[in-house]
Amino acid sequence: MQTVGIEAMNVYAGTACVDVEKLAMHRGLDMTRFSNLLMKQKTVALPYEDPITFGVNAAKPLIDALSAEEKDRIEVVITCTESAFDFGKSMSTYFHKLLGLNRNCRLFELKNACYSGVAGLQTAITFIVSRVSPGAKVLLIATDISRFMTVEGGEGLTEDWSFFEPSSGAGAVAALISEVPHIFQVDVGASGYYGYEVMDTCRPAPDKEAGDADLSLLSYLDCCEKAFLEYQKRVEGADLSTTFSYLAMHTPFGGMVKGAHRNIMRKIAKASTKAIEADFDERVRPSLTYCQRVGNIMGASTLMAIASAIDHGSFDTSKRIGCFSYGSGCCSEFFSGVAGQEGQARLREQRIGEQLDRRYEMSMEEYDELLATSNVVKFGTRNAVLDSSFVPAARTVHGKEILFLKEIKEFHREYEWV
Amino acid sequence: MNKEAIFELITQHACTVIPRLEGHRFESTDSLRGLGANSLDRSEIVMMTLESLTLDIPLSETFRAENIGELAALLHAKSAVSQTASC
Repeated sequence: MQTVGIEAMNVYAGTACVDVEKLAMHRGLDMTRFSNLLMKQKTVALPYEDPITFGVNAAKPLIDALSAEEKDRIEVVITCTESAFDFGKSMSTYFHKLLGLNRNCRLFELKNACYSGVAGLQTAITFIVSRVSPGAKVLLIATDISRFMTVEGGEGLTEDWSFFEPSSGAGAVAALISEVPHIFQVDVGASGYYGYEVMDTCRPAPDKEAGDADLSLLSYLDCCEKAFLEYQKRVEGADLSTTFSYLAMHTPFGGMVKGAHRNIMRKIAKASTKAIEADFDERVRPSLTYCQRVGNIMGASTLMAIASAIDHGSFDTSKRIGCFSYGSGCCSEFFSGVAGQEGQARLREQRIGEQLDRRYEMSMEEYDELLATSNVVKFGTRNAVLDSSFVPAARTVHGKEILFLKEIKEFHREYEWV
Repeated sequence: MNKEAIFELITQHACTVIPRLEGHRFESTDSLRGLGANSLDRSEIVMMTLESLTLDIPLSETFRAENIGELAALLHAKSAVSQTASC
């Protein structure tokens, strides 16, 4: 069977962040139960940042590392997002232009809430495995931002929504999928998918998110169990406790992953409470490190959890990572792949942790000011010039050229390298 | 198991998850949210209760219960159905 998987990968989580505990206190949330949510920081998207800037900044290092011939073999660019600003034009077209790619290339966008990144990954894998174009590469960019105001609680919506603001982040993961899976070799065909219609969370109006936080959590927990059971049916000998050295899951916030892990370990692995705690620390925590610092990046979250597991785990020998993605609405999938020492070394060259360290931490005053000024780029903005003097410190934190949104002219977005 | 016993189970698990609730006089109109349990706490309490009842139903089927009394009634009805189904 054709080897396939992630040849190269990078996470880009912006230029600014807030401390989530400070934000939760600022909002007057009940702090007594805050610690079980396992959240530390979240990336905040500034007005001159958008899903394109996050995606390009994630992908650029990967593209720059390719030879001209290799770059020309990128034949599909898939954007995975729920943060689109156009109903027809896919963000892949902007990525294609800004990264200078070969025009013999498919460009399109995928959607199903937080499942989009894995939908894109599996689509890319199928393309490679089909060998319709041997040697081709797929550029996968999962990119999502939160820049919205919550809908006030009404029928079907809950006030519990308020703890979603501290968890909603912004970020992108770019990955090259090919026959040369240096970073992560996917187990082809080892997938349990589980989806159905449920109205848990959605984005039904411009710049608004709506839904029921309780229902979303319960649906995530149900799907985690059912998706794994389907994986187990398809993969002979698969054992939740022993097959995987690490587990990487879609992470709206760390506490949710802890709850889902506990649920499947109890129900399927029949593990004791003490064993579950130890197992969580060993197999799950490595995947949470980036997620706890960036927040929920929706379609890109599972991919970021995989990157975190590979960066922070121990890969003296090749090890299998069990992966779970859930997207509201809903669709979920449990799949797996193998990473090794070489993959970890290559991924560590991106220095993702250091990038997160460099972000500018906003004060609560600056954060509130941001919420008031973000409508300059609200959905449907026809013309705008972005103010580069807003939180200027953020624009130079990375010490290298970073793409920012400069202007929107007749709906067309124009960017600049700063 | 009758509804009252299920109610007791729920309150016991609530005290395990949120220890400061020990000694609280639970009423059927109490809501777990009102008692300070967040989404994660509530899902854990329900998971533990389902396990105690060896009742295998999707967690999302329990979300409509507005308070502990309704949750006990819902679980009681579901467990009656699953017993009938196994005959």
